[in-house]
Amino acid sequence: MNNPILSVQDLTTSFRVDGQWRDVVRGVNFDIGERETVAVVGESGSGKSVTAMSIMRLLSPGNSRSAGRIEFEGKNLLDMPLDAMQSIRGNRIGMIFQEPMTSLNPVLKIGEQITEVLRQHRGMDGAQAEAEAVRLLDRVRIPSAKQRLNEYPMNFSGGMRQRVVIAIALACSPKLLIADEPTTALDVTIQAQILELIKTLQEEEGMSVLFITHDMGVVAEISDRTVVMFRGDVVETASTAEIFREARHPYSRALLSAVPQLGAMTGTDRPLRFPRVDMSSGEIQSPPATADTVRADAPPVLKVDNLVTRFPVRKGILRRVVGRIHAVEDLSFELRQGETLSLVGESGCGKSTTGRSLIRLEEPAGGAISVAGQDVRGAGHSDLTKIRRDVQMIFQDPFESLNLRIRIGDAIAEPMITHGLATRRNAEAKVTDLLERVGLSGDMISRFPHEFSGGQRQRICIARALSLEPKLIIADESVSALDVSVKAQVINLMLDLQEQYGLGYLFISHDMAVVERISHRVAVMYLGEIVEIGPRASVFENPQHPYTRKLIAAVPIADPSRRQRRLATADEIGSPYRSADFVPPKRHYREVGDGHFVMVDASEVAA
Amino acid sequence: MSGYLFSRLLQTAVTLFVMSVLVFGGLHMVGNPVDVLLSPTATPAERLEVIKSFGLDRPVWEQYWIFLKNALTGNLGNSFVFNQPALDLILQRMPATLELAAAALLMALVLGIPLGIYAGLKPNGWFAKSIMTFSILGFSLPTFWIGLVMIMVFAVQLGWLPSSGRGDTVDVLGVPVSIFTMDGLAHLALPAFNLALFKISLVIRITRAGVLETMQLDFVRFARAKGLPEKRIVTVHVLKNTLIPLITVIGLELGSLIAFAVVTETIFAWPGMGKLIIDAIAVLDRPVILAYLMITVVMFSLINLAVDILYSVVDPRVRLEGN
Repeated sequence: MNNPILSVQDLTTSFRVDGQWRDVVRGVNFDIGERETVAVVGESGSGKSVTAMSIMRLLSPGNSRSAGRIEFEGKNLLDMPLDAMQSIRGNRIGMIFQEPMTSLNPVLKIGEQITEVLRQHRGMDGAQAEAEAVRLLDRVRIPSAKQRLNEYPMNFSGGMRQRVVIAIALACSPKLLIADEPTTALDVTIQAQILELIKTLQEEEGMSVLFITHDMGVVAEISDRTVVMFRGDVVETASTAEIFREARHPYSRALLSAVPQLGAMTGTDRPLRFPRVDMSSGEIQSPPATADTVRADAPPVLKVDNLVTRFPVRKGILRRVVGRIHAVEDLSFELRQGETLSLVGESGCGKSTTGRSLIRLEEPAGGAISVAGQDVRGAGHSDLTKIRRDVQMIFQDPFESLNLRIRIGDAIAEPMITHGLATRRNAEAKVTDLLERVGLSGDMISRFPHEFSGGQRQRICIARALSLEPKLIIADESVSALDVSVKAQVINLMLDLQEQYGLGYLFISHDMAVVERISHRVAVMYLGEIVEIGPRASVFENPQHPYTRKLIAAVPIADPSRRQRRLATADEIGSPYRSADFVPPKRHYREVGDGHFVMVDASEVAA
Repeated sequence: MSGYLFSRLLQTAVTLFVMSVLVFGGLHMVGNPVDVLLSPTATPAERLEVIKSFGLDRPVWEQYWIFLKNALTGNLGNSFVFNQPALDLILQRMPATLELAAAALLMALVLGIPLGIYAGLKPNGWFAKSIMTFSILGFSLPTFWIGLVMIMVFAVQLGWLPSSGRGDTVDVLGVPVSIFTMDGLAHLALPAFNLALFKISLVIRITRAGVLETMQLDFVRFARAKGLPEKRIVTVHVLKNTLIPLITVIGLELGSLIAFAVVTETIFAWPGMGKLIIDAIAVLDRPVILAYLMITVVMFSLINLAVDILYSVVDPRVRLEGN
């Protein structure tokens, strides 16, 4: 490359931990050319974000230091005085962060947060800056920009906030945009919009982009060249096409093989484990075939008929119900022993509420639920306890679902003792056995949760759920917070356990690619309703409902040769709020294949 | 908003009612004002006369009923001692107390917020550590002791400031105010600082905690990435977020400043409401005690209302709604 915009040379960043300096990024080298997009990819702890923060010098000066050289427009950023650095930040280099919900100051108006940059770097006065802010919001496709300047961040959805953040980052037409996981916290259709927006703006502005991400799908979609980081080191730098075609470093290969790829399962009916990769040699072991675990002969372990859950919205002095959130609306499905049914949809579609309603963590407003033939809605206190033994939940955040002050052995033993499945005396042997079954070691029994990594904690949660010998496990976004390679391992574990115990899984997820990997059947939810349900192969290969198609099309494809452009729209996900007197219309489904149903309009039924 | 105001008004009315029942009942259980007020040499006839004139011969419920009827017309009864309406007595003393409390509050904010911000920005510096040590002293040393020491040093030994009483006043809209005369300010300085000391410490600690917490948040990092100078980040982005917890605490503390400035007023012989209520309790002047507590309730309710409204101004996420 002749003239790189940004050249990172031998960057080493250290943090001071307990008085000791520890390198978190070692000897990083890469260049970004004009109009080029470079992705830095890696899992948590790889140092990718620290690299980005080092370039912007945003790390706290007392507890961190960077050595090496970061050349930008002919100057070394690392030895620049702070005020010169301030005139580069937000002006020559724009930056956006992962969390749109927290990147904006909640108590300042959007307009103020945009214009302050314009006044700072471009010396505009109030009126000029305001006019420019309107233009910027228009550019990131925020409708009725002028009115929205006077609103606060709380009035914006996550996707809209990320647009505002992008507008701020691009306010001064920077040469370089650093995007640190800008779409990780967003829904998949919103992610597709934001990626498209960044690409479009990059072309219009002619800027370069440094894209930090853990998602190989996003890498394949957006970047020209890719830098793979692993525990603070750059292990491979190459063009994105090359990395995906023939990655040289074993870690790059491991990372790639752990990426669930949408469409990888075409032509198979059963779930499939992820291949195992040897980290030193990079050799890939193809996974063993999955046994057929579905007990089609036995009655379903879970049967849901016309389930409805609504949350009242009250207003005024008398707290009258003025409307309801129709979180779950007229849902019916069955789940057999040994079967995995995935509920898939975007945030607010009611998939988690469905899971919670099944064991009455939320009280349903209508419909019938039966678990192993027992009626859930009519169950009294002791019956409900029995039902809850059969149905266990695993949540998204393994950090929050374990009590930090309870040893994990006690956490796993507690439900067994409560339900009389073990006594205090023989609990320890059972816990040791469970820990080994989920791939941990029995001698970890007296450790506290903070001594484990995220993946290990999720294994502990699985062991805790298994301790009651449940028939059904509701896994609510259970692998969403995990790193790619850890995610693959936990999914493999879940499939192993399904084979061993004949467990049924209700797998609640927003991640289409993971859903394709793990499920036998899939139900797509939108605004509290199932819009399409059927065998996984049928739904993915022959999606019928427009929303299912949109969802599948929005998933980034981890293959740079199949890059696609989408329309830069600004659609929002609808709201399930309805007024109090709203009577939901009757739902009609059409069977399009063997057990594959799609929701249709009433008009279509009549025709 | 109107629904919100209405429900707050209702709450205040209920609080006033409950308070009046409790205080009325309570006062009737402790001592007999006639024993305190009348000289031991009074004849039984005189005694009966006084009891009758105070209305103490009637059953308690009837006394309360009369009080309630009068209260609704704005008459909270006459002081046993001064034979003047209790409300007037209190309102006469009120400007002095409000002035003292306002001066103390102003000192707490003007000194506390900047010191707190500094301590939050540079938590490990020697100056920040001295500020925090000072604030611990402010918390833990008893007000009356500091008041006495201040009189010793500034009034007795140095002779800079007067030690007691209120200075010259000027009438502003019919209300006597002392802050517009040099003499008045000189008299106000010591008691106001004495009263403010605890609040300064409180404001320092809350501001420091708020700044420390806010500086860690994502939007501060994003503001830096926007290239904003540190000064703007602190004074606009951080300060406005720190104000939110500050307003809550200040609101509660302002109420206690006004209602319970008793100690400071006693030490510095400040002619405010605190001194009046202490005297009234000593002679069991029931109407004054009752009226004072009623006014305290109203004041607390008003301050809380102001806090809530301020809150919704500072924090757009707060919506005022009746419940």
